[in-house]
Amino acid sequence: MTDGGSLSRTAVMGAALGLSLLASRTSQAQAPKLLVYLHVSLKQRAFQGLLQSALPGVDVTAVGRISDFDRAMSDAPDAVLTLPLVLSAKNLHAQLQGQRAGSAEEKYALVAADAAPDPTRVKAVGALDVLGREGTNLFVNQLLGVSGKVERVTKVEDLLPLLQMQRVDAIVIPLRLLSDVRSASRINLVPRELPKPIGLPAVASFGPAGPTIAAGIAKLPPGLSQTMGVDAWR
Amino acid sequence: MLGLPVGCALLQGCAQSAVSPTTHYYAEIARSKNPSAKETVLVCMPETPQTMEVWSGLRDELAKNYSLVALRVEDRGARSVIEEGIRRHQPAGIVLMNNPTVAAYKDYQHNARKTTFPPVVVVMSSFLDAGRLQVSGATGISYEVPLITVVTNLRKLIDRPIDKIGVIHRPELGGFVDRQAALAAREQIVVVREVVGSSPNASELKRALRRLKEQAGAVWVLNDDHLLSPKLITEAWLPGLNERPWSPTIVGAASLVSPLQSFGTFAVLPDHAALGAQAASLVFDIADNGWVLPSDLQTQAPVSTTTTLDLAQVRERFSLRNDALRQVDRVLDR
Repeated sequence: MTDGGSLSRTAVMGAALGLSLLASRTSQAQAPKLLVYLHVSLKQRAFQGLLQSALPGVDVTAVGRISDFDRAMSDAPDAVLTLPLVLSAKNLHAQLQGQRAGSAEEKYALVAADAAPDPTRVKAVGALDVLGREGTNLFVNQLLGVSGKVERVTKVEDLLPLLQMQRVDAIVIPLRLLSDVRSASRINLVPRELPKPIGLPAVASFGPAGPTIAAGIAKLPPGLSQTMGVDAWR
Repeated sequence: MLGLPVGCALLQGCAQSAVSPTTHYYAEIARSKNPSAKETVLVCMPETPQTMEVWSGLRDELAKNYSLVALRVEDRGARSVIEEGIRRHQPAGIVLMNNPTVAAYKDYQHNARKTTFPPVVVVMSSFLDAGRLQVSGATGISYEVPLITVVTNLRKLIDRPIDKIGVIHRPELGGFVDRQAALAAREQIVVVREVVGSSPNASELKRALRRLKEQAGAVWVLNDDHLLSPKLITEAWLPGLNERPWSPTIVGAASLVSPLQSFGTFAVLPDHAALGAQAASLVFDIADNGWVLPSDLQTQAPVSTTTTLDLAQVRERFSLRNDALRQVDRVLDR
């Protein structure tokens, strides 16, 4: 899912120094821009604020909709933090890859009320809209191994209402987000782990400040990286 | 009374407006032309910040497949504007935003010579359900956020068990509350209700509110103009909610949450851009069915919401869960 780029310790230290310099120069020059397109279990406003605090001198924009991502891409960001499947759809290449427990991929689950759902019997499934209508439908159908109706939402929190209102038979989510969804509900939510793993968040950089931003991301506080399902950046 | 807009202004998108005495003229707010598209979707709407967000959600979803035209409809007297829009664009489908626009379209249907009409998706219409759809060949999304979503949001914030939620309603909205209560039972939410008359006075409303607060862990205020007149807000809701025991109060309009005057603790209302995307999904379902309403297509509730919290009130009266503020879109403080 990634081209496997990695950063040396020297590069990270140099980049950290660069970030500090950038922070001090924000009044003199336009700050380097990081565009973030990830679905996390907190509001985008809060997520953006946490990233902004952790990356001084970088202008962070966090969006939750693919159309907002596409619009923001025309604003020439220096780096993008998103899922590898989004990077791939946009012909971008990762220079920094998130990992958890040594793996660059994570498991997804199909979740339903009261019983583990059978993917072949699910007629309508709720999913996070990562790639727009056609792309997300394709992604979900490939993940489940069958084609069915996909109800797309743009926030993690919107998946639960789909089940509550019985708009779908099941929802598909990264397995790590199950506890967040469960904590908001008294419905007995039962997962079925899906076999196909999906790439964890990654960074693609383009502008001159891109490597510096990537180095800053590699040093994010552990709690903030874990919000994205990541415990290390390589 | 400080800082609380009242009455019909609460639901800016849905408000019932009188027929305007002004001349109605044809005007397009926006267009999204897709040269490769065969069909056009006509969107009839007033021009407000909320409706423009819904439009952006619709456009983002539909523009790759269809041409779109946003037609300005100011009020329920705009039948001729809609008629002209349909004549010019021959739309395959129509989206109607808010109650006055629906009324204008109903007027158009009633007076049209033809008997077949394009399928319609209604959004930003209050208390919409299949039985209350005013136009034929229509489906839609109600503006009211379901109680189950409201309480799910509240439970994420307030650090106290919320199992019983109280609601005051007029007899006319009994069916709506029944359906909300049935859905909410899935999350083990019990609805305690106080039914007031069709035109309650302040004393009746205040008494009902006092009884409700004794029985329920939180109060859910319906977006019912008949219960939210300036007089009732000033003489019933505000004094009733600002006496002990304090109850977290959930409202359906951000304008009812103000740190300057404690009314709503927390507002939950539709995410308008997401509402547009949800409406687009209905348009796709209709298009996939040959531009005919699928027989099993039901009216929906909004799935995605935005939240506003009065932090000043919460700090004074309730405890918040850890990280609760990261679950709120807008935090208001003094």
